[in-house]
Amino acid sequence: MTHSAPTSEAGGRDVWIPSACGMCYNQCGIRGHRKDGTLVKIEGNPDNPIGRGRLCARGLAGIQLLYDPHRVNRPLRRTNPEKGIGVDPGWQEIGWDEALDEISERLRKVRERDPRGFFFSGTVISLAPLMHALGTFLPAFGSPSAFVSDGHHCGNAEHILARTLHASVTTNPDVAHCDYLLLFGCQAGLGTYYALTSMAQDVADARVRGMKVVAVDPYLGSAAEKADEWLPIKPGSDGALACAMLNLLLNEYRLFDEAYLRDHADGPYLLTEEGWYARDAESGKPLVWDLAAGRPRPFDAPDLGTPALTGSHPVDGRPCRTVFQALCDQVAKWTPEAAAEVTTIPAQTIRRIAREFGEAAAIGSTIQIDGKSLPLRPASALYFKGAHGHDNAWPTALAIELLNEVVGASNVPGGLLGTNPVCSGHPDTGFPRWRPGPDADGLLEAGALLYNDPYGRTPGWPPPPQSAELPNLRDLVGWPITTCFTPAALNDRENFQFDHRPEVLINYGSNLLMSVARPEVCFEAFEHAFVVCVNLYSDETAEALADIVLPDACYLERLDPLPNFTRHHHPVGLGDWGHTIRQPLVEPLHERRHFSEVLLELADRLGITQPMNLLTNNLFGLVPPHALEPDRSYSWREIADRAYKSWFGEERGLAWFEQHGVIRWPKQVEEVFWKPFIHARAPLYNEWVKRSGEQVAEIARQRGMKGVDTSGFFPLPDWRPCRAWQPREGYDLQAIYYRVPWHTFSMTYENPWLDEISRGEPYSYFVCINTATARARGISDGDPIVVEAADGGSVEGRARLTEGVHPEVLAVANNGGHWAKGMPFARGKGIFFNQLLPMDLPHTDLVSLSMDCDARVRVRKREEA
Amino acid sequence: MRLGMVIDLKRCIGCYGCQIACKAENGTRPGTTYARVVKREWGEYPNVKRLSIPVLCMHCGEPPCVDVCPTGASQKRECDGIVFVETDVCVGCRACVMACPYGARYFQDESRDYFGTGENAYEECVYAAHQSGVVEKCDFCRARLEQGLEPACSANCMCKARIFGDLEDPNSEVSRLIREEGGFQLNPELGTDPSVWYLPPER
Repeated sequence: MTHSAPTSEAGGRDVWIPSACGMCYNQCGIRGHRKDGTLVKIEGNPDNPIGRGRLCARGLAGIQLLYDPHRVNRPLRRTNPEKGIGVDPGWQEIGWDEALDEISERLRKVRERDPRGFFFSGTVISLAPLMHALGTFLPAFGSPSAFVSDGHHCGNAEHILARTLHASVTTNPDVAHCDYLLLFGCQAGLGTYYALTSMAQDVADARVRGMKVVAVDPYLGSAAEKADEWLPIKPGSDGALACAMLNLLLNEYRLFDEAYLRDHADGPYLLTEEGWYARDAESGKPLVWDLAAGRPRPFDAPDLGTPALTGSHPVDGRPCRTVFQALCDQVAKWTPEAAAEVTTIPAQTIRRIAREFGEAAAIGSTIQIDGKSLPLRPASALYFKGAHGHDNAWPTALAIELLNEVVGASNVPGGLLGTNPVCSGHPDTGFPRWRPGPDADGLLEAGALLYNDPYGRTPGWPPPPQSAELPNLRDLVGWPITTCFTPAALNDRENFQFDHRPEVLINYGSNLLMSVARPEVCFEAFEHAFVVCVNLYSDETAEALADIVLPDACYLERLDPLPNFTRHHHPVGLGDWGHTIRQPLVEPLHERRHFSEVLLELADRLGITQPMNLLTNNLFGLVPPHALEPDRSYSWREIADRAYKSWFGEERGLAWFEQHGVIRWPKQVEEVFWKPFIHARAPLYNEWVKRSGEQVAEIARQRGMKGVDTSGFFPLPDWRPCRAWQPREGYDLQAIYYRVPWHTFSMTYENPWLDEISRGEPYSYFVCINTATARARGISDGDPIVVEAADGGSVEGRARLTEGVHPEVLAVANNGGHWAKGMPFARGKGIFFNQLLPMDLPHTDLVSLSMDCDARVRVRKREEA
Repeated sequence: MRLGMVIDLKRCIGCYGCQIACKAENGTRPGTTYARVVKREWGEYPNVKRLSIPVLCMHCGEPPCVDVCPTGASQKRECDGIVFVETDVCVGCRACVMACPYGARYFQDESRDYFGTGENAYEECVYAAHQSGVVEKCDFCRARLEQGLEPACSANCMCKARIFGDLEDPNSEVSRLIREEGGFQLNPELGTDPSVWYLPPER
C-alpha cells in the first residue's frame, strides 16, 4: 500500500490546534501540532478541564490511526456476492457519487415500503456522530430500528441507577473528599472508566492523602494492583457481597444515615403487602406514617410530623412496612456466611469490609465548602462492567448503589456523585442549563441526560412497556440508554414475531461481529440485508457482511461541535465546566468524509432535511435566532456555528472555538453538591421495575412469547447466579475479560504504538490462569491452550501463569484475535474473547438488557499437530 | 545544577502513558523506547502484589556508558548532568548498550518502520531527525528544556507520578520528595548513582 499523503491546505505553517480525543469514549481535550501539513504530535490541552493537559497512551497514539496505511480511503463495493465470516469480499474502489446513489436509492425504497426496515448501529466511541444519527437522521427517516454495537453493551444497569439515584447518565466518586473507595469490577482513575485522565490525578492525590482503596475483582488488574486490599471474587457474585454488607450495616452494625433515608430518600414510604406504594385515596400521593399523628399521611403533607422510618403500620387496616423496613428485611437472609459461599470471600473479611465502609462514611459529619455547610460522607462504593456485566446486572447494580444510599454517601462530598446533574449555564448566557427535581411522587427526576432541552425541562421517565414489535425492544424495555440485544432478537424472530426484517443496515464505526458476542450472532441477523459499513478499516464486519464500505474521517479529521454534549465525561466534583470543539487537525485525507456530512447529504437526497433540521434544534438545544429553519439547507459548519452561539453567545461561534478551543467557567458548589438544595428523594425501592415486570409478562403472555423471564424485575436488591457462575458438569472455570488502559475494545490492536506496549507487557496478549490451577492441569507458562465454553465457542491462546487471578477464573485482556485482511497489523494479536459469548434471552438481564459477559469454560493444553 | 526525576510508585498506575508520550515527543522507531515500564509480581494467591515500574535513562552520576564509549560520543553535561549521545560522533559500536545496566540505550536501524509497509507520512517527517547506525537514548528532552518545558513523560503523566527538577537544590520538589518520602534508586549497589529516584508504592 502507498503512503498516506497529506492533503492539508495549510502546508508550510507550524500550528497547534485545540480539539478533542476520540480514542475512547472519554473525549478528553487535546492539542495537535501540525507542521507543513503533517500532524506530528498530539498532546493534552491544558486549557480543557476534561483531561487537564494530559492524555493516556491511546490519546497520544492517535497519530498512528491517522496515518495507518490500512485505512479505508475510498468507498468500496463488494464484488463477491457470497457473504460469510472470513470470506474475501473482493473489494472494488468506487466513487462517492456511485456509493451514495445506491445507498440513497435503497433507503428510499425501504422508506416507501416500511421505514422500520432501515436498521442502524453504531459506536459510542464516536459519540457525536452517533448522537447525530440517532437523534436526527433516524427519527427524520422514520426508523425506530437503532442499536449500539460496540464493546458488548453500554453501562445499562449502571445508567439506569445513575439516573434514578443521581439524576445523571454516569457517576464518579468525589475522591477529593473520600477516605474509603470500594471498587466492584471497576478501575476508576486507576486504569479505565469515565473521565480517566482527570480522575487518575484526583485518585492519585486522594491515595497519597490517605484514601484507602479496596478492589473487588477476579483479576489483579490495574485497580487491584494499586488497591490497599485486593478481594478476589468469583465473577458475577458481587451482588451477594453487597447484599451481605447491606445486611450487616442495616441489621447488625446499625450503621445507616437515618436522617438521609427518612428525608432524602423514600425510606419512610409505606408499601402494601403486594409491594406497591400505599397511596392516598384522594391525591394518589405515596403515604408515610406520621408518628405524632398516629396515622398515614401523604409524604408532602404541609404539616407532616416526623415519619416512621422502620416498622409496619396500618393503612386501611392492612399492614404496610416502610420501604426502609422492607429493605432491611430483604437483605437479612444474606449473612456473611451465605455470601462467602457464593463469592469465596471469607465471611470475616466481609464483616470487616462492611464495618470499615460504614465507619469511614462518618455518618452525621459535615464540611464547609464555599460558605455552605454540607453533609460529608467520605466513603464511596463504585462498580462497573466487572460487577454488572452479567445477566444478574439489575439486582447487582442496585445492591451496590444502596451501599452508598444507606450511609447517605450519595450526591454529597466524599460520596458517589452523578456526573454533574445540575448546571446553571455559562454566566454570560445561562446556557446550557438543567436541574433535577421531584416528580409527582417526590422522587428524583433528572434535568438532562445526554442532550437536553435548552430550557432545562426534565425529560421524563421512558413510557411503560407497550408491545414487543421492535427488535431493539425499545417498546418493551425502553429504559436502558442503549442496548445491543437487537441481533439476538432478530435471530429469535419466531418467538418475537417481528413483522419486519432488516432490509438495510448502516453500521457506523463499530465492528459488531467482533464486539457484540460471537460473530455468528450478528452475521445471522444481518446476512440478508444490504449492509453499509462506515468505518476506518475494512474490519471483520465489513468483510463478512458489507456491500459498501464508506471511508470514515477519524476524529482527527473532522468537526464535531460540543463533543461532550451536556457534560459527557466531565470530571465530577469541584472545578470548572468546560466545553470544547473537535476540529480537523488535518483535512480528511484521500476521500475520507465525516459521517455527519454524509448524513446531511443522504437527508437531502431522501427529502428529509426539514424534519432533520427540527430534530437538530432539539439535539443541540438551538434556540432562536440560531434555531434551524425547517425549509432551509445548512452545512455542517453552519450548524456547528449556531450550536456554539446558541449556548455561548453571538461572539462565541465556530470561529471563536476554532481559535480558542475551550470555554470554561467555575462550577458552583450548589451545582456540584446539589442534594441539600433540591428536595427530591432517592428511590431505594423501585416500584417502576415491579410494574414494568408485570407489564412485560403480560405482553409476553398475550403474544405467546417463550423465554421471557420477568422474575428479575424485582424492586429490591438480591443475588442470584449469572449463567456463567452456575456449575456445569465438566466445565469448572469462568472466563472473564478485563480492560487495560492502553487499549479500547479491539480497535486499538491495529495501532502499532499500543501493540508495542502489549508485546512488552507480561499479561495482555495471554490467557491469565492461576498458577496452581494450571499446574493441576499440566499447563506450563507459555503453553498453547484451548478454552471451550459450555454454551459453545472456543478460543485459543497462550497461557500466562500468575498468582494474580482467582483459581477458578481465566482472564483475558480486552478482545483481540482479529482475522480481517483489512487490519493486517492487528491480525492474530491477543485473544478473541467474544467467541465464547452467546447472546440470547437466557444470557440476558431483561431489566437492563445486560449480557452475561463471562462464560463457563474448561481449559486444556492444545495438542501439537 | 543536577537535573533529576522522581517517580512516585504509589501514584503510578502503569498505564504506559509515559512510554507513548516519550515516543510521541521524540519520534522514535519501533523498538526504541527511551521510556518504558517494567512489571513485577510477587507473593502467593491471594496475597499477591504487582508493581509497575517506569524506567528510563538514569542519567547516572557515574555513567558506565560514558566510560566505555571509544569515540567520546557518549557524554555527561557539566551544567546539569544530562547524559546524552552526540550522534554525529557515534560509530554504533554498541559498547554502551552492553555497559548500561538499565537497558536505556537503543541502536538505530533505519530499516524499521511501524507498519512494515514503509514509513507513513508521520514517520517520514519525524525519523528525518534521527540517524541510523548510531545509539540513541533519553536526554531528558533537552529541546523542551530549552523552551522552559519539562520532559514530555513528566509533563503528560495523568497521575502526576513523575516530578522533574534540580537534585542539588534542597528546596526543589524532587529534593523534598526524596528526603521526606523515602526516595530510593534502582540498583545502587552498581555504583551508578542514578539521577532518577523512586518513591515507595506503599507508604
